[in-house]
Amino acid sequence: MATKKAKECYFCVNNLEVDYKDIRTLRKFINFYMKILPGSRTGVCAWHQRKLATAIKRARVMSLLAATHK
Amino acid sequence: MSKTKKTGAGHYEILFIVPNKFTEDEAKKIATKVDAMIVETEGKVTFSEFWGKKKLAYKIKNNEYGYYGLFEFDLEKENLAKIDNNLRLSTEILRHQIVIKKIKTEAELKREEEIRVKIDSKKAKEVKVEKTGVKKDFKEEKTDKTTSVKKAVASKSSGLKELDEKLEGILNADDLI
Ligand SMILES: [Zn+2]
Repeated sequence: MATKKAKECYFCVNNLEVDYKDIRTLRKFINFYMKILPGSRTGVCAWHQRKLATAIKRARVMSLLAATHK
Repeated sequence: MSKTKKTGAGHYEILFIVPNKFTEDEAKKIATKVDAMIVETEGKVTFSEFWGKKKLAYKIKNNEYGYYGLFEFDLEKENLAKIDNNLRLSTEILRHQIVIKKIKTEAELKREEEIRVKIDSKKAKEVKVEKTGVKKDFKEEKTDKTTSVKKAVASKSSGLKELDEKLEGILNADDLI
């Protein structure tokens, strides 16, 4: 469900940096199948979406996040 | 890596997993070995952390659990490959990842601090609006519990004074009863 109302970027609003070790935050931007959600849905700006994608991939390498849902 | 210069100093961060067959003390010893490895190659460790035993998101070489260790260090770029290679050959380490960590300049830190202050003031305003919306009866009932929270939120002394006055009033009323 894409919302029409423009959301604000989570990282810009809260002045946070994207960290691949912070799984709790990364979880918010992954769906049930462990796929990276599009920025259009989560409201993350393009700049942070790029950082987020690399962070999630780094977390997957270190087995902090699963790459698939079983 | 190919686009970056091959010499000069850099700031890096390494995260590694020690397999579950070791005990926690042994895992810590292995972590100190990694530390020594960095120091040997003329690196300088600026931050270290041992996360302890954690469940892996997926099995790695039939290990379901692993000990995580984290180091932040300054190192010459040319020496980084040595550490990377040593860790890859090591049988005591299941997996590792070296990441370039950006060091913030003073200007950046200052700007961040400014933004943080702005956000905090914005949040404080929102809380105040919420407070005024609460009904009076409800307030009086729960003042004892909420004052501690309110005190933390209210940054200005005027709010505190009001609260103190209210508190005193309530305490006096209790005495009468
Ligand atoms: Zn953003």
